[in-house]
Amino acid sequence: MLNIRRISSGRWWHKKKIWIFFGIFLFLVFVRISKGSLYKDFFYFISRPFWPGQFQKEVILKSTNQESLIRLNLLNKDNIRLREILSLQQSSNNDNISAAVISRKTGGWWRQITLNKGSNHGVEIGSTVTGPGGLLGRVNNTSFFTSSVTLLTSPESKLGVWVDRSQINGLLVGSGDDHPSLILYSKKADIKVGDFVSSSPASSLLPPNIPIGIVKSIDETSQSKKTAKISLLAKPHLIDWVQILKLNI
Amino acid sequence: MNKFFTKKLSIIVFIFIPIIFLWHPNWLGFLGVQPYWPLFWLLPWAMINGSINGLVFGLFLGLILDSLTLDNNFSQIPGLIFCGFLFGRIKSHSDILVGHFRYGLICSFGSFLCGTLYLAQILFRNFSDGNFLMFIPGVKNILAEVFLTGLFAPFICSQLIRMFKFSRRN
Repeated sequence: MLNIRRISSGRWWHKKKIWIFFGIFLFLVFVRISKGSLYKDFFYFISRPFWPGQFQKEVILKSTNQESLIRLNLLNKDNIRLREILSLQQSSNNDNISAAVISRKTGGWWRQITLNKGSNHGVEIGSTVTGPGGLLGRVNNTSFFTSSVTLLTSPESKLGVWVDRSQINGLLVGSGDDHPSLILYSKKADIKVGDFVSSSPASSLLPPNIPIGIVKSIDETSQSKKTAKISLLAKPHLIDWVQILKLNI
Repeated sequence: MNKFFTKKLSIIVFIFIPIIFLWHPNWLGFLGVQPYWPLFWLLPWAMINGSINGLVFGLFLGLILDSLTLDNNFSQIPGLIFCGFLFGRIKSHSDILVGHFRYGLICSFGSFLCGTLYLAQILFRNFSDGNFLMFIPGVKNILAEVFLTGLFAPFICSQLIRMFKFSRRN
């Protein structure tokens, strides 16, 4: 009886070590077949903070931004110089007033914002108001400490604008929703979805070349004119700080 | 001082209407539209003080609110005058629960009336341009406003009526 037990415990498959080695062997075979994918994936995670690409990407982005900024400044200077030569209307950055939005009605009947700068701070009726993205509207009313701005979406708002690609003038009319309508008084006007709309260089109400929006859809049902819906770049329901531009006519 | 505040409670609340109208709390809105705040005050006031009072204070409210909005061509006065006069002819109901729902319905109707009159002005003003682009957003505004005004009216109007009656008794 004792002999039988000794013999059975002495078989190779009863040894734990052998099974461990077998397991390791199987694992290595798997690694070999998968061409080290497990190792590579593991290395992917532990080496991630040290990737050279991340740092390099930041450096490239930073230098691209700097390049764009320098180019923008040069173009801006060029633009001002050319406008001076042609005696066109100008807008100067020195006259900007920063203001906070203290009341906002961006939905419903009334589409207006109230700013915390008024006639006391030099805000005048008719001044242009811009926010991150582009044009928001024009100052319609001022009190001593506040000013009220009619937004581009208000049914009261009517402005001359410029379609950049086809270089045509149009009328931007607020229609009481979030997308004002661009009216082009010509059936043949060349306009496409995605066209960029800015303030008109010919406008006497606004400084030129302020970004306004992008053509969202076009309605060609009318016989005499084309109407397009504009998606505004500046979102008045999100903006808390704006710039009031003084117009030098 | 305390007695003065109790007696003039309705006027004090009246002063706060333009402030809440300017404040325009977005978190209370629906589709960017707010409930029509002046009706919440006008209904209790007109129910307690009668049609003529309702009409006069509807005009006052309209004047103040028009001064706060920049739309020079459109006015809220016709709607508020009409609502003030109409609300003055309504008597309070003996059943409190029915009364609550009535406030909601009446304010919804008032809001619909004011909204329709306002939209009519916008459409009339832009009729020459053939511009019916404003019709659909206008209808959306009216529906959202009617819904919100009807939703909040039972809570606010009931409280205001109770407060105004209490201040009248003292």
